[in-house]
Amino acid sequence: MNIFLYEIKSLYKSTLIWICSLIGLSALFLSVYPSMTEDAAGLREIIGGYPEAVRAMLGINLDYITSILGFYSMIFSFVILAGAVQAMNLGLAMLTRESRERTADFLLVKPVSRFTIVTSKLCASLTLIIATNIAFSAISAWIANRVKIEAFDGKLFFMINLTLLFVQLIFLALGMVISLFFKKLKAVLPVSLSIVIGIYMIGVLFATDKEDVIRFLSPFRYFDITYIIENASYEGIYLITGAVIMAVSIISGYLIYIRKDIHA
Amino acid sequence: MNVIEIKKLTKNYGKARGIIDVDLNVEQGEVFGFIGPNGAGKSTTIRTLLGLIYPTSGSATIFGKNCTESPEVRKELGYLPSEVFYYDNMKVIDLLKYSASFYHKDCTNRIKELAEIMDLDLKKKIDELSFGNKKKVGIVQGLLHEPKLIILDEPTSGLDPLMQQKFFELIEEENKKGATVFFSSHILTEVQRLCNRVAFIKEGRIIKVEKMSTLQENTYKRINIEAKAGISSEAFNLRGVSDFTAKGNTANFIFKGNMNDMIRKLSEVELRNISITEPDLEEIFLNYYAKEE
Repeated sequence: MNIFLYEIKSLYKSTLIWICSLIGLSALFLSVYPSMTEDAAGLREIIGGYPEAVRAMLGINLDYITSILGFYSMIFSFVILAGAVQAMNLGLAMLTRESRERTADFLLVKPVSRFTIVTSKLCASLTLIIATNIAFSAISAWIANRVKIEAFDGKLFFMINLTLLFVQLIFLALGMVISLFFKKLKAVLPVSLSIVIGIYMIGVLFATDKEDVIRFLSPFRYFDITYIIENASYEGIYLITGAVIMAVSIISGYLIYIRKDIHA
Repeated sequence: MNVIEIKKLTKNYGKARGIIDVDLNVEQGEVFGFIGPNGAGKSTTIRTLLGLIYPTSGSATIFGKNCTESPEVRKELGYLPSEVFYYDNMKVIDLLKYSASFYHKDCTNRIKELAEIMDLDLKKKIDELSFGNKKKVGIVQGLLHEPKLIILDEPTSGLDPLMQQKFFELIEEENKKGATVFFSSHILTEVQRLCNRVAFIKEGRIIKVEKMSTLQENTYKRINIEAKAGISSEAFNLRGVSDFTAKGNTANFIFKGNMNDMIRKLSEVELRNISITEPDLEEIFLNYYAKEE
């Protein structure tokens, strides 16, 4: 418990900044929604002029762009991207903190098992991710209700928001296992950014088609928002894939960390 | 009872040498010195013992248990690493409280006591501390839960002589209260004061384990003399002299044995200058232990 509390204490400030940024991003876009819809045809025309690939990248579906859910889904691709960076940061930092700050000789000679250490740290990061999602979902729903022009389906809105949590969980788990392959991870952010953007680009550039198997390579493409709006459900196969990636990453993270030699 | 038991402990780092077949027992209540030049494998042995690294073969236990299998035995362990690093963005007292929270007992009084002895300001932030002061944090951190086994890896580096003195007094006191002490060093004299026994390690192998009383009979001195006349190579053909080089009026050698014999011998020579210094361990190894093998 003390490790958990300590980790929360040392990470909550940066989490607050992330929460504010994510909400700010969504608020900024949502605030222009009313004026955008005043000229719905014009907006559709402008967006329609974007290349197909760009529209796919931003998750834009022309049929829905003027509805608040459609509009929100466009914003949301940025939110997810930022959220993935946050989660990747947490994941990469989690088990490498001791080697980066050279505090392994402190924590790892305490009368606790490495299993407990990993569990405490993982729980702390999960707590922060969940807190981020609760704050983000609640406030963005409130803003959406403020700027809406016509009623929208609150459940769908929630389902879209929930994909942030899914993507973050996948990236957190990936970050945790990836970090263990570094001999010494000196700075988290550059590594985090390059991994996240790399994965994002794979999704955007190579997996243009919905049925494309390459979609599996990029968790950003697991949750197609148009599909969610149309079917009010997630694509089961990708949900399962995401869960499998998480499980495999976390289990191997435990195994590797427990067997790892900790050098000064 | 053996508090530390190390049996045939081997650790390979790929092709690089770690430690080979290290055997060591430390009895309860003992102060045990672990001596060797830098890179000999002292830290590797200690880190394996603590469960920070996994052995290639062999075993290392404290209180009869392996630290990786039973991490809770570390409750009775206090460890001071050779280089002290702590979460920077923290006050000293917060770090010490965090450390204490692992042992499920109230350590507040002991923290205050130790901080006073070591002259450590508890309210400062850790990143504002000098290297020596960080080391003090490490000492307090390692002792605050009154461990029954204290493991110190090169404990005195970075401490000024006065603090070293206080530190040794502290360790002696803990030892009197019943704590077993295991500490590594590359300075023999540092160890001499405190230890009951010492083990010498070189290139990953234990060369010799010796009682301090035996070692104290044999003091090692490096002697440099400059005489008024030329010194013959036979002049110091005495038991215990080694690494002898004579060049014109000067001679240079290491002496192991009764100081009085040497003084008598030296008085026979008309000296212009003399220096008697502590030889470093490397020299002792090379000239005595390595040869005896």
